[in-house]
Amino acid sequence: MASSTTITQQKKPERSLSPWQIARKKYLRNKMAMISTFFIILVTLMSFSAPFIAHLLSPLPDVSKVNIGAMSIEPNSDHLLGTDKSGRDVLTRLFYGGRISLLVGFSATVLVITFGTLVGALAGFFGGFIDSILMRFTDFVLNFPFLVFVIVLNTILFGIVDGLWVLIMVIGALSWGGVARLVRSKVLAEKENEYIMAALSIGCSPFKVITKHLLPNVVSTIIVQGTLIFATMIVIESALSYLGFGVPQATPSWGNMLSSANEPDVLQGKPWIWMPPAIIITLTILSINFIGEGLKDALNPKSLR
Amino acid sequence: MLKYSIRRLLGMIPMLILISIVVFSLAKLMPGDSLSGEIDPLNTNPEYIAEMREKLGYNDPLPVQYFNWITGFVQGDFGKSTRFKIPVFDLIMEKVPNTLLLGVTALVITYIMAFMMGMYSGRRPYTLGDNAIAGFNYIMLAIPSFVAAVFAIYIFAFQLNWFPFAGSVDILVERGSFEYYVSRMHHVLLPALVLGAMSTASYTQFLRNDIIENSRKDFVRTARAKGTPIKKIYNVHILRNSIIPLVTFLGFDFAALIGGAIITETIFTYPGIGQLFLESVTSRDYPTLMALTMLLSFLTLLGNLLADILYGVVDPRIRLD
Repeated sequence: MASSTTITQQKKPERSLSPWQIARKKYLRNKMAMISTFFIILVTLMSFSAPFIAHLLSPLPDVSKVNIGAMSIEPNSDHLLGTDKSGRDVLTRLFYGGRISLLVGFSATVLVITFGTLVGALAGFFGGFIDSILMRFTDFVLNFPFLVFVIVLNTILFGIVDGLWVLIMVIGALSWGGVARLVRSKVLAEKENEYIMAALSIGCSPFKVITKHLLPNVVSTIIVQGTLIFATMIVIESALSYLGFGVPQATPSWGNMLSSANEPDVLQGKPWIWMPPAIIITLTILSINFIGEGLKDALNPKSLR
Repeated sequence: MLKYSIRRLLGMIPMLILISIVVFSLAKLMPGDSLSGEIDPLNTNPEYIAEMREKLGYNDPLPVQYFNWITGFVQGDFGKSTRFKIPVFDLIMEKVPNTLLLGVTALVITYIMAFMMGMYSGRRPYTLGDNAIAGFNYIMLAIPSFVAAVFAIYIFAFQLNWFPFAGSVDILVERGSFEYYVSRMHHVLLPALVLGAMSTASYTQFLRNDIIENSRKDFVRTARAKGTPIKKIYNVHILRNSIIPLVTFLGFDFAALIGGAIITETIFTYPGIGQLFLESVTSRDYPTLMALTMLLSFLTLLGNLLADILYGVVDPRIRLD
């Protein structure tokens, strides 16, 4: 009798974990990735709450106003990170700057991923003529010297459309090539499987096959790639703003703040003006890269961590 | 091989024509034109301006203008810089040696650093030294080049006073003398270090992984069984095989160096092609801008082609056709 009860207890149906649950468990165990995630969440929260907490941070909460009486003050109890050459509080600008840098980075990433996935999925799924046309187009975009064309395009469109969106559109339009290639190669491998054949044979439309069957199977690759692109986009935004070809000068962004380091006297004698943005850019990029690595590990069914 | 290279070179022509059309259209879309650079700036008579405009072909239909520009361009006539009032060709030629010196020095630095770190890590994987190098590389990959440049200037030029922070040569030294070349090297070293450090991380990790992979192969076991010293196995047998894939990186580096040079040269106010490009954008110097965009596109294409060809050269198993 006793033995039969143990058997029924053992038989109690135990649900195995879904792929997403396994991935989440793996990710939560990855220390570097978790620290990075918290850091990014913190930076995001601080940046987007900037307008509400600015008056708590410093006596000069207005980041667009020049204060002649408070120029280049060293860090003190009033201005925790000092003020810049126009008398604007560095800490407040850092918060506001994060808003712009993260917004530009995120929007450009969404643009790149959407367009790249669309082109890659269409080229990979249909093959033949559509594939060669789309891939020639991709090669064409990939062969452009990226920075050169971004700068030229940005100069042309500047003033026609609002500055921020010009930048997002231009860097988005010129950097989807890599994603398209990646998605195409994944789709090419995936569409050889029998379940695609089965779906097609019971009369699923190409649209349905791509969205319901193909994309869910390549989505993990796209997520990992998207994370890394997010980091790249933040770098590009700040590099362009640093050179003076990105976000309009009046708008605080991390790159714009760092561009004050172009003046030798600021670079040499007033490190509190340029060091905070430099450090926060580096830490953000580092964290996003760690998150990307963590996701890559977590979403890879072959990795055993 | 030769056939493939020639076919690829010819394949670049339609690409270049497409790029030239894009460049021309972009230059025409930009506000203003380069007329003011071609005429006598003191003569403000509207009739004179209109006459010169007609004479210089600014009133021609766009396709005709494009055709005139591109025929001149392929013959080496890049037009006249509106800012410096000298032929663009001479202007570019003046800056090319500086950029070339910067690029080559950066490459040499990349290779030296990557070899030392990669060989050390590959030989002693998963040790403290290897992990330290991996951590260092991780940070180098994450830190954007312009942030690295700013920190480099602050630390090495201002705090330690080891390097000058701007320019390509000391103005006081006599051109052609020994001091002149020393001064040039001294000026190029810091920007080259920043530019070279960009690709060092990926080179190092690649070399490390390749050495580890190769050290498990049969030819290494054979060599060990025959009693070859470990040092010789690593420095001769394995290294020879691991260098090969690294060569293919050279082509991609070409393109990366172009983008990197624009940023690095501007930050270090180093008078090269990249800085000239940015100046031509800000000062609306269209002939220079167009010529440089074409030149940089051409170099990027050439770099990609080089990467493909080198791939086939170093690894005969890859068939190019």
